[in-house]
Amino acid sequence: MLKKIRVEDAVGEKISHDITEIRPGEFKGAAFKKGHTVCDEDICHLQKLGKNHLFLIDLEKDEIHENQAAAMLAKGLAGPGVVWQNNPKEGKICLYAQTDGLLVVDKATLAAFNMVDEVMCASLHSYTRVKKGQQVAATRPIPLVMEKAPVERAAAIARQNGGALSVHELKQVKTGIIITGSEVFNGLIKDRFAPILKQKMNDLGSFDTQIVFAPDDAALIQAAIQKHIDNSCELLILSGGMSVDPDDVTRKGIEKAGATEMYYGAAALPGAMFLMAYINDIPLMGIPACGLHHKTTILDLMLPRVLIGEHIGKKKLAFIGHGGLCMDCIECVYPHCPFGKGM
Amino acid sequence: MMKPMECLLEESAKVHGHLCPGQVVGVRMAILGCRLIGLDEPTQRDQIKKLIVYVEMDRCTADAVSHVTGVKLGRRSLKFMDYGIMAATFVNLETGKAFRVLSTEESRDLAQIYAPEVDKKSVQQLEAYKRMPDSVLFRVQQVQVNINELDLPGPTRQKAECSHCGQVIRDGRQVVKNGKILCKVCTDNCYFSHAREITWPAMNWSPHNGILKKPHIGIKKGMVFNKSNQVISKEKI
Ligand SMILES: [Zn+2]
Ligand SMILES: [Zn+2]
Repeated sequence: MLKKIRVEDAVGEKISHDITEIRPGEFKGAAFKKGHTVCDEDICHLQKLGKNHLFLIDLEKDEIHENQAAAMLAKGLAGPGVVWQNNPKEGKICLYAQTDGLLVVDKATLAAFNMVDEVMCASLHSYTRVKKGQQVAATRPIPLVMEKAPVERAAAIARQNGGALSVHELKQVKTGIIITGSEVFNGLIKDRFAPILKQKMNDLGSFDTQIVFAPDDAALIQAAIQKHIDNSCELLILSGGMSVDPDDVTRKGIEKAGATEMYYGAAALPGAMFLMAYINDIPLMGIPACGLHHKTTILDLMLPRVLIGEHIGKKKLAFIGHGGLCMDCIECVYPHCPFGKGM
Repeated sequence: MMKPMECLLEESAKVHGHLCPGQVVGVRMAILGCRLIGLDEPTQRDQIKKLIVYVEMDRCTADAVSHVTGVKLGRRSLKFMDYGIMAATFVNLETGKAFRVLSTEESRDLAQIYAPEVDKKSVQQLEAYKRMPDSVLFRVQQVQVNINELDLPGPTRQKAECSHCGQVIRDGRQVVKNGKILCKVCTDNCYFSHAREITWPAMNWSPHNGILKKPHIGIKKGMVFNKSNQVISKEKI
């Protein structure tokens, strides 16, 4: 329960919440910290900040203060790889990435959490790549004093499946790249795919890449896949031969190599003819020719997810559709753009 | 141990007549309610007498709650409170513990996000309600329920007679007005009106004589009927 008293009558009382002062261009922060005991000299200062009344807190049995609530919420929200410190500022607690990695937000859980009237949490988009120490979310209760039960319920909602927010390190994998196409194989045109794919893997922290070239021949593509698997590659990327053209036989090659799962087509542009397949646990990603002409494609959306161990199926390739249209900016600023962030 | 949710849901849908989102909410409400009051198999003989459930709506959910818990109107273990609220209170008579489980309004809005791949609204709700955790689907209040002794299961504890119509009234449901005992029908607060006593066709029918069922069969001397009104001849007996 909150009691409102006049500032003049507050001498000797403890302030119940941080009181913010903003001097434009000069200072923004707590002029008075929670728990500060008001003395005679403070009255003028408080009035200058526009405070003619103060709240005194008189906690009932089932009530808690916002700082206590914020800590409960942060604890519930933070899953693996997300850390926070119990020093709420103006009732708010920030959550940070514990390591470099990929932020994963359980959106249903976050929405359910935010449906509780008394609380809020705002986060970065799911699948944002983050650096160690980077802020990924912030949470706070809305009222200064509230009943304990809704806060506990919100924290319980957040806690399901181990927290609404998690940061996963990208696994370093040995990558097998297969460049398909008879013209490249026969030296008629120069391959440009291999350096691009190698660079992408390097950017994601995987430096061990092996490259094999194969002509448009399903059996030879199959053999190339088998070679990479025999060399204990943990991820295979295949370029070219991915369209519906009769000469494009990469899919056939993957099939022959014993694909246990195969999804052709993704709801992203560029990247409609993307292919995702698995041979047992080994993911195979087929990138169509768009990967040559566009700096950012479906591959950039899916690679980090594969590297944190996510299994990509039909549903995930479909859900990328909302926000899956690249704006084709003259200068690509991905990931600081909406591409692939609508899921 | 209670049966798994899917199994209870299937049974409940059969009894109720269809599978609907209300069945999922009701089945889960009952599972949670029973768990909270410490009953793991409410339909079993030793537990059935410990349980009373107050349902606050007469909708699909009420049927599912009563199916899973085994509470019944005729056993006085099911109480209908006509509040129009999607909630039920589970009382353990032995411990006195009682919890009111409310279905949250926000769970309706969240159906889309918990089952985004389902497009038909009712199917989406049904699927989402299976996936949501209890904390999203429900709010729970610990409550105190003061049950009047006259509302408890067991034999009739009191009988009274209406001073106006002579009707016998059981279990203290009489009303005292100006010092006179009345049945609820004789007060102004009755659900029907304009009652008048009538006679009706074939009013002497009974399952035993079967007159209504077979008026076309002339009953001849020597014919013998069994209890199902089939004619059996003397020879066959
Ligand atoms: Zn129904
Ligand atoms: Zn009467």
